Amino acid sequence: MSEFRLESGRVSLRSAGPITFGPAGILFLADNAAATVFAVDVADPGPAGGAEPFDLEDVDARVGSFLGCGPDDITIKDMAVHPLSHNVYLSVQRGHGEAAQPVLTRISVADGVIDDVPLDEVPFAAVAIGDAPGEDDERLDTTLPLRDDEGEEMQFGTFKIRLLRQPIRTATVTDMAYADGALLIAGLSNEEFSSKLRRIPFPFSAGIVGSSLEIYHVSHGKWETAAPIRAFVPYDGGASVLASYTCTPLVHFRLADLTDGAKAVGRTVAELGPVNQPLDMVSFVQDGEEYLLVANSAHGLLKIACRDIDSQPPLTEPQQPVGVPRETKDLQGIRRLANLGGSYVLALQSDDAGRQHLRSLKTASL
Amino acid sequence: MTEAIWSRGGGGDCIRLRGLPAGADVRVFPGTAVAAGSLPPMAGRLERDGADLCFVPRFAFLDGMSYTVTVEGTSAAVLVRPRPERPAATEVTGIRPAAAEVPVNLLRFYVWFSAPMSEGYAAGQVRLARDDGSIIAGALLPTEHELWDAARRRLTVLLDPARIKRGLPSHQEVGYPLRSGEPFRLVVGDGFRDAQGLPLRVSAERRYEVGGEERRHVDPVSWELAVPPAGTCEPLQVTFGRPLDHGLLARCLHVRGPGSELVDGTAQIGPGEQSWQLAPSRAWASTVHQLVVEPVLEDLAGNSVSRVFDRDLARPEDQSRPARPVIIVFRPG
Repeated sequence: MSEFRLESGRVSLRSAGPITFGPAGILFLADNAAATVFAVDVADPGPAGGAEPFDLEDVDARVGSFLGCGPDDITIKDMAVHPLSHNVYLSVQRGHGEAAQPVLTRISVADGVIDDVPLDEVPFAAVAIGDAPGEDDERLDTTLPLRDDEGEEMQFGTFKIRLLRQPIRTATVTDMAYADGALLIAGLSNEEFSSKLRRIPFPFSAGIVGSSLEIYHVSHGKWETAAPIRAFVPYDGGASVLASYTCTPLVHFRLADLTDGAKAVGRTVAELGPVNQPLDMVSFVQDGEEYLLVANSAHGLLKIACRDIDSQPPLTEPQQPVGVPRETKDLQGIRRLANLGGSYVLALQSDDAGRQHLRSLKTASL
Repeated sequence: MTEAIWSRGGGGDCIRLRGLPAGADVRVFPGTAVAAGSLPPMAGRLERDGADLCFVPRFAFLDGMSYTVTVEGTSAAVLVRPRPERPAATEVTGIRPAAAEVPVNLLRFYVWFSAPMSEGYAAGQVRLARDDGSIIAGALLPTEHELWDAARRRLTVLLDPARIKRGLPSHQEVGYPLRSGEPFRLVVGDGFRDAQGLPLRVSAERRYEVGGEERRHVDPVSWELAVPPAGTCEPLQVTFGRPLDHGLLARCLHVRGPGSELVDGTAQIGPGEQSWQLAPSRAWASTVHQLVVEPVLEDLAGNSVSRVFDRDLARPEDQSRPARPVIIVFRPG
């Protein structure tokens, strides 16, 4: 792993966030509480995965049982499938508040056995998320620390007290993807209504925080917005990206068009309907053609042909249905998607009772 | 007969088991009803301690949780982890904006708490309500990732931007979440849990009147400055003419002295986020100073110094402005 500049040590996760696989089975983990992304060699033990599907009922209850708690104490933050073994990785928060603990769990597709991925002594690299408070932003929220090893000791007269000073401004990673030798990171600021997509070359280099790409989208040829990207997926061999925004349009842009410091305008190719949030996206191949699946909060699972995206002129008139043709799959409650080899897409699905299950969707039948 | 008790061992909390033969198949499951064979046992290890066996969990026992011990596949004991009894003491210390009236295209709120909070409760406990108590549904952006500061004491709540941005189906079909002339309240329910898992001492709310649209750039050139006398520590006072974003105000305004050095002092955001002042720690010099305004400073509707929230491409005045700080010069008299 020396080619990726990983060094052995302890990955101290403070929070569980989005995860995605990069080259050579390296897993990227976003830790929003620490404003850091880790690249970890997870040393997946599995043999190469086959072309079989993988389904697991009550994955939240199973992971909860393994971690010694109920399903309501489990929050599955993200899901990724190891590109070779097809083992399923879940970024999980166990418990709430002070007792909350981030855990990386691995589910073997061979037998459904759940395990936690040890992070005590693993090859890893880390990069600070560049949207940490700026040089002029000295605002700190000063509180009494919850633990003795936090904060700094201050002397007031004859009293000594530990004070914890933490930044007020933070950025929250909502999605990550590895494409074309770089990690792409979308985030939401807790202050500005920002539109930054960060690109950090991998392997990480000391002092390189990556570039910040400002992307606008135009709706109906009349309105231009710089809204934050909520979820995105590279396709076309990593040359293109389809992004969905907090305000739901699907926007296409080519990575080559994104140059540092310049304003880039993406092409709005579809709108996903009112009062709806895109949750996750994945690309897959069916009969030699590339397609995208978009999981939505209100409008089910949508399938879109990439050739339709490529030929879609920018939306210029408000109309319904809007933009590229899409096929709505009768699958509700899908929150996360990941490729499970070439034959299946793995979906994390919530049922009406809120329990969560892993389901394999056959790409030939989608 | 197996006896099982909470104990210490193996470097932490454990379940101590007495009266078991060596090599017994012992497993621990969270909960009281173990669906035999369907769920994996809790991760941990068994350690021999004299005549006892100790189950040491890999992940700490949770307060208030029940744990079932099985021996040879049969339920042998159920233990309940005690939950420390503490009175609810955490409360909401502030809701921003503090302005009495907000624009109909309001974009965000900030909620401050007196102690660190748990994540996962914002969607269920923060809501907008009309004066008759009915809930304004679909107004707030459902976020899987809640927006907190690092100390988990300030929560940022966004109104659904798709309903604010013109030209999108959400705006065209459903309209703004708010309505001009119809007051509403932001309500934080007492079911919001703090970091210790306790509810709030009391729920909190703030009521707002709703005005018209605000779609103009933030324009520092139009601000009014009350310039202090030189040789005093009286504050520089800046009045904006409309409320600005509380979170950004705290970091987007600075004063630089004649040598471009930052003027140190006490900054305060005025009532309703309509003004700002800086009282210097050393008396003003009678030379030219600069009020520096960062271009990301936004108003309540997400319009900033450099760009409007959504730009009407047909309106030249909506064009983006340089993303550089705006500098206003003044000289204490």
